[in-house]
Amino acid sequence: MEAELVEADIVVPMHLSFKKTQSYEKYPKGQSRGRWKHLKQILQADHHPSFYINIESPPSTQPCKRICDVTGFEAPYVDPRTNLRYANAHVFKTLRSLSTHQAHHYLSIRNAAPLLK
Amino acid sequence: MPIVSKTRRQTDYKLFPPSVPIVIDNGASYFRIGWAGETEPRVVFRNIVQRPRHKATGETVTIVGDFDAAMMKFFDCTRSGPRSAFDSNVVYQFEIMEYILDFAFDRLGASGSAIDHPILITECVGNPVYSRSKMAELLFDTYGVPAVAFGVDAAFSYKYNQRHGKCRKDGIVICPGFTTTHTIPFVDGEPVYKGSCRTNIGGYHVTDYLKQLLSLKYPFHASRFTWEKAEELKLEHCYIAPDYVSEARKFQEGTKEAEEKTRYWQLPWIPPPVEAPPSEEEIARKAAIREKQGQRLREMAEAKRTSKITEMENELHSLHFLVKQLDQVEEDDIPSFLSDTGYASRQELESTVLKVTQALRKARGEPKDEADEFEENTDSSEKYPLINIPDNMLTPEQLKDKKKQLFLKTTTEGRLRARQKRNEEELEKERRNQLEEERRRENPEFYLEEMRAQYKEVLERVEQKKRLKTNGSNTNGNQKSGNVGRGERLSAAKRERMRLLTTAAFDRGKGEDTFGAKDEDWQLYKLMSKDHDEDDERPDSDEAELARLSSRLQEIDPTFEQKAEGETGQTPGEAPGVRPLTEEDYKIVIGVERFRCPEILFHPNLVGIEQVGLDEMAGASIRRLPHGDKELEERLTSSILMTGGCSLVQGMKERLECGIRMIRPCGSTINVVQAEDPVLDAWRGASAFAAELSFLRNAFTKKDYYEKGEEWLGRYQIQYNTL
Repeated sequence: MEAELVEADIVVPMHLSFKKTQSYEKYPKGQSRGRWKHLKQILQADHHPSFYINIESPPSTQPCKRICDVTGFEAPYVDPRTNLRYANAHVFKTLRSLSTHQAHHYLSIRNAAPLLK
Repeated sequence: MPIVSKTRRQTDYKLFPPSVPIVIDNGASYFRIGWAGETEPRVVFRNIVQRPRHKATGETVTIVGDFDAAMMKFFDCTRSGPRSAFDSNVVYQFEIMEYILDFAFDRLGASGSAIDHPILITECVGNPVYSRSKMAELLFDTYGVPAVAFGVDAAFSYKYNQRHGKCRKDGIVICPGFTTTHTIPFVDGEPVYKGSCRTNIGGYHVTDYLKQLLSLKYPFHASRFTWEKAEELKLEHCYIAPDYVSEARKFQEGTKEAEEKTRYWQLPWIPPPVEAPPSEEEIARKAAIREKQGQRLREMAEAKRTSKITEMENELHSLHFLVKQLDQVEEDDIPSFLSDTGYASRQELESTVLKVTQALRKARGEPKDEADEFEENTDSSEKYPLINIPDNMLTPEQLKDKKKQLFLKTTTEGRLRARQKRNEEELEKERRNQLEEERRRENPEFYLEEMRAQYKEVLERVEQKKRLKTNGSNTNGNQKSGNVGRGERLSAAKRERMRLLTTAAFDRGKGEDTFGAKDEDWQLYKLMSKDHDEDDERPDSDEAELARLSSRLQEIDPTFEQKAEGETGQTPGEAPGVRPLTEEDYKIVIGVERFRCPEILFHPNLVGIEQVGLDEMAGASIRRLPHGDKELEERLTSSILMTGGCSLVQGMKERLECGIRMIRPCGSTINVVQAEDPVLDAWRGASAFAAELSFLRNAFTKKDYYEKGEEWLGRYQIQYNTL
């Protein structure tokens, strides 16, 4: 270890006295992938109707706020070709000059991108 | 203000007796650990882990928390990004959790053979029992902890503030966190989890939104907008507008207020050094250097040529000598004499002599004599003596020779003809250029105009062709909305091919597919590929024309600019490489984004999350309560606490009040207060809780856990009322 590193002391020591089994014994190299259940799987495996899911918020009852994808202003219009919302003609010009990749990105921020690309 | 990490190793671990609990606030953003009863956590760091490889030793090391960029040069970080133990707000990755706990305990100064203190650790609302049990196992088995208690961070914060009089025993806590936001109602000082509400939006989403918006607005600088930078910008500049629509309108109209609120971030930009027109001396000096270089090259060429000439002269001498010798020798002895020298016959010798003299003459730069040329031409009839003799008079060997000679003759003649043609073409071009020059001299203005018009025409044609190729099908795309990617697949050529294929498939008729029975059918594929080739060739001539015109214009027209292909005017997405970069390009404008990003906390559907925002969550919480007590509801709304790091955004309090007032019946009291320290109050509350004597009643030991099992653990909850 370089002297600088030892001084900076940012690395976790390999052997810690207060542990019954050390990390390197518990997790031999190359086994960490695919061993832990993600949240979705945890919730599925739960036997009881999951409290965690029950407390999720309901969808909003207010009308959805429509703002322009590019500028953030109020956007009463939608571009039929790309499905992006825009505020006025000036923004529309910009919209049409976007590459398909950018348009897709804007839509995916809103979770409105079509799956087939 | 960003949270400052504290990771210095503590030295007073041994001073605390085993009865003092250790308090951990295990948050998705930051991890805080300290001793019960104190007001500040001892160790604070970002809750992420990196496992890079050390370059020198090759071993994998673990680094927890924010890292110092300067230290990173010792590590190979290509295969290890920062990883979190959390999935949303639940711990799922316990290997990472272990590294984090290792680091935390180590920095707390832990020593001895086990962690001999009870531990109070925070978790999320409704933590699945799987996660809880894995955490308990980790603490009991690996660290030897005697007793463990789990609590909710937002609840601790509320109790702490209740103790300090900020809120009452009935109220609601609203906690926007890192990845989720919770609202929990409190009745009689205890949280009612049945009424709690969780929306999956938090500070992480706000930062991510800002990052993506900026990257899309300034694609040229996209690499500058890292997640950490976006977080910095968010912490410093974001605020919540009291009413989004009116604020947006202010910016849209460009009012002065909007101007003041717009922030500019100037990226470092060095203007390209303006080259001062070279002074007289510079020019003279450069010219002199070039002269010298040219001179040197010329001398070298000269030297090479002279050496070559002398070489050839020597050869010529020796050959002449040989010829003279040959004359002296008798006819019969010629073959034997010549066998030493490597020439088969006298003719060969003579032809070599001729060749060498010619080469010499060329090298010397003397013009070819007419005589020589004539010689060449006559040589042709002599060189190919066999050609003119009809076939039936020759032996098979001679026939072979004749074929060879015929072949040679045709090739040399072909070469001559090609050379002539090239000369003619060059003369043509010269003539044309001269004509053009004359025309230009006569009428420069007119000529220029003509050229420009031509250029524009050709440019149009090329661009149109390009557009057809890539966007050809977008006009048909109206029926299929949103399939923006299909344009490339359905260009004109490809459509043509599809058409041919389908006609071929259907043309047979009578229900049977007999394609391929006749040989002519396969010509279809030839047609398809030829079509494709043609399509690709045609634009080439146009493009060549374009290139020629543009170079011509560049020579003669001082105001002409090379138009880059595909440029369509000023757009925010345009690569500024087309025109010279200015300072403006390096200025990042953050105007609307300032209040657009935190808005998603109140309207998660702006980022596609179909859930209620902060203000409506409070309403949902109240509705979920088991009793429908109106008075209770009044009491709840008059004591609303905001806690959690995300609640530090400017303007949140007013907005929340507004929002909740809209959904509550008219005239109800709404009182929103911010926690004393939204970031640290959770830990402080937990610390105060753990310091009470009754803490151990709420904790469970290893024995408890293994005896009572998971079922019991699922139902376990602590009692927050300590009095």
